Amino acid sequence: MPHVISRTPRMAQSGHPSGMPADKNISPSVTRVIVKTAGKQEDFMIADDTSVRQFKEKLSTHFKCQMDQLVLVFMGRLLKDHDTLSQRGILDGHTIHLVIKSKRSSRFLAHSSRNLPTKEPCHRVRNTEENTNGVYQPAGVSHTPVESALLVEPDAPKVHSQDREVSGPEYVAQMLQNPSIQQLLSNTDLVRQFISEHPDMQQLMQQNPEVSYILDNSDILWQTLELARNLAMIQEIMQIQQPEQILEHPLNPQSHPGLETLPGGDNALGQSYVDCNDQMLNSSQDPFGGYPFPALLEGQVLQELQSSPPSPTPPQEPQDQLPQLPTARVSYTSSHGLSSITSASVTPNKVNHTPSTHTTTISTKAPSPTCPIQQPARVPALPSIELTQQPQTEDIDATISLDSSDQKLEDDLQPSDEQTKSQITGSMMQLLLNNPYLAAQMMLFISMPQLSEQYRQQLPTFLQQTQLSDMLIALANPKASQAILQIEQGLQLLATEAPVLLPWVAPYLWGLGWLPAPSCSHPDTVPWAWDVPDIAEPKGPECCHKSGTGLQRLQSLAGDPSHLLQAPEIRFSQQMESLQAMGFGNHHANLQALIATEGDTSAAICKLKRSQGF
Amino acid sequence: MEPPNLYPVKLYVYDLSKGLARRLSPIMLGKQLEGIWHTSIVVHKDEFYFGSGGISSCPPGGTLLGPPDSVVDVGSTEVTEELFQEYLSSLGESLFRREAYNIFENNCNTFTNEVAQFLTGRKIPSYITDLPSEILSTPFGQALRPFLDPIQIQPHGGSPVGRPNGQS
Repeated sequence: MPHVISRTPRMAQSGHPSGMPADKNISPSVTRVIVKTAGKQEDFMIADDTSVRQFKEKLSTHFKCQMDQLVLVFMGRLLKDHDTLSQRGILDGHTIHLVIKSKRSSRFLAHSSRNLPTKEPCHRVRNTEENTNGVYQPAGVSHTPVESALLVEPDAPKVHSQDREVSGPEYVAQMLQNPSIQQLLSNTDLVRQFISEHPDMQQLMQQNPEVSYILDNSDILWQTLELARNLAMIQEIMQIQQPEQILEHPLNPQSHPGLETLPGGDNALGQSYVDCNDQMLNSSQDPFGGYPFPALLEGQVLQELQSSPPSPTPPQEPQDQLPQLPTARVSYTSSHGLSSITSASVTPNKVNHTPSTHTTTISTKAPSPTCPIQQPARVPALPSIELTQQPQTEDIDATISLDSSDQKLEDDLQPSDEQTKSQITGSMMQLLLNNPYLAAQMMLFISMPQLSEQYRQQLPTFLQQTQLSDMLIALANPKASQAILQIEQGLQLLATEAPVLLPWVAPYLWGLGWLPAPSCSHPDTVPWAWDVPDIAEPKGPECCHKSGTGLQRLQSLAGDPSHLLQAPEIRFSQQMESLQAMGFGNHHANLQALIATEGDTSAAICKLKRSQGF
Repeated sequence: MEPPNLYPVKLYVYDLSKGLARRLSPIMLGKQLEGIWHTSIVVHKDEFYFGSGGISSCPPGGTLLGPPDSVVDVGSTEVTEELFQEYLSSLGESLFRREAYNIFENNCNTFTNEVAQFLTGRKIPSYITDLPSEILSTPFGQALRPFLDPIQIQPHGGSPVGRPNGQS
């Protein structure tokens, strides 16, 4: 056997089992290797001293191909026929990768390399097509011979694997400089023909008639082409909204939001060049149609805000700034796309077309940093409402434009809605960046459709015996009550140390399903439900108490105004009863103590004992 | 015998959240995530990645994400460009078809991990491959899962790596 200098150290041969741990090889001469190929893997038992050629023979019969089609790769090294597996350091349990070359590959490659120079113009044009098509169809467009009408050669086979060599930016730039190509692209009719003949585009147009409007508007086409050419412009747009252009809306031909916003959004495109403060517009101007993730969130939020009943909080808060607060409309076509993602029960049409009084607006004024401190109670409540209460109207341009678009709402102009949406998206993004807690809120609302539906249905039955007994059983688990106690302690600590942070935690708790979202119709039931097992639960009554009262406190902080508005007597009626049962007869004193301790029964007991001189 | 050519293999790591994950994850998930990682393999002067559009390639750093947030040296490989293309084609027909994309189970990092092992025998850093399980192990992640699952990520700027033509 020819001696091969192997880069890997020679492993112990089969005759020296002492060098290896005894349990590594069951029988030292046979090795089990894993062969991975094309997404599947199989085990093979082979002798240690098998040569690579012998192994290939075995594999070729197994995979039914010829030996010269097989290429074995181990640790990034190609295995040569004359090596032995042990020489290359292949031990028991190692994985060898196998590539089975296609029979025609060598022939194909020779063929394509010959054709390559002649196909270059076709590639270049195709790439321009792809770039412009990218505006309308961001999902990976495979090269198609649409432009073959242009070319002399009748057949232009798809050469995918070679594309990357010629589709580099330098080629595109070169091609664009070619005056004949420029002339071609300047002819919007021709470009339109290209685009409309693209089969994917045709499919899209069937599902989205708006797209054909785009194509008919040569202005838009021209602007888009300009945009695609002007890399600097693209750069600027991208830099402004880097966080957004990351995720793409799932390819859903029925509702492509980028396209739907394009007609109106493109009008805004011109504006954005003029008004550089208006960064928000750019968010919908993504020339490649990338779908901003926050818009996903936001659309979902709006859906939910649409579906949730008007919260009782607005009456409390100053409404002078926006007289039409409850009636301002947000229509957001992207939520249509969202519904297809989320399969939520909320119908998209509601959001799109209903200027009902139940919709709420998001006025995208960046809230002042002091806002969470000033109004911690209201923050976790529907953030849209809180946002609209911000008095500042002068600061942000988006505000101004949004106000103006508010006025336009009655006119119900579609383009202005698109503008509004884009502004909303952009400024929402700004908002999220500036205020992480808001982002947390937003994320919460994603889960809201399920939760709020659930809770709305569940809460009427929540207090039923079956529910309670489940909870009782759950609480009987000492670890569970311990966990609850820990959470409660953490909350108490937080409340004393940094009450401003409590709203931050609230959404997390909501996400866990502990608290119903404040928009639900029965905000009080959860704390009451917690209180009921307090009395009935023999084990660990203290911790249950605490958890109940802590949650109560949290909920009150979380801005449940109906809770706050209730008379203390009603709020604490449960605790009053328990105090009575314990023997504290002074009704008035009990109430006072409970008010002082915010409903914490055990603390109230301590207070009462002290005052009554026990 | 001439020494075979060794081609360097690099892993480009992008944070899709652009820093948001680092800031928001403690609040939202209860644990610290440094980023939402998207990765791609760079070999033979090309960047390869997997998204909802299937396996794509572009010049290194040529997607809309821009330059990578970090570059990890995976090792070096003897696999030639031609062989690598074959391999990618076979992957693109089996495990990494475009419709097989799933943001948790079969995403860009799954692809990168496979390719890295093929090219060098080494896996990519575990903080990247552990990301889905990290997220799904939080209650928040579980709650969000039905909404996140259909999300398809496809960084733009690349062209698909397809099957060689002429096969029957």
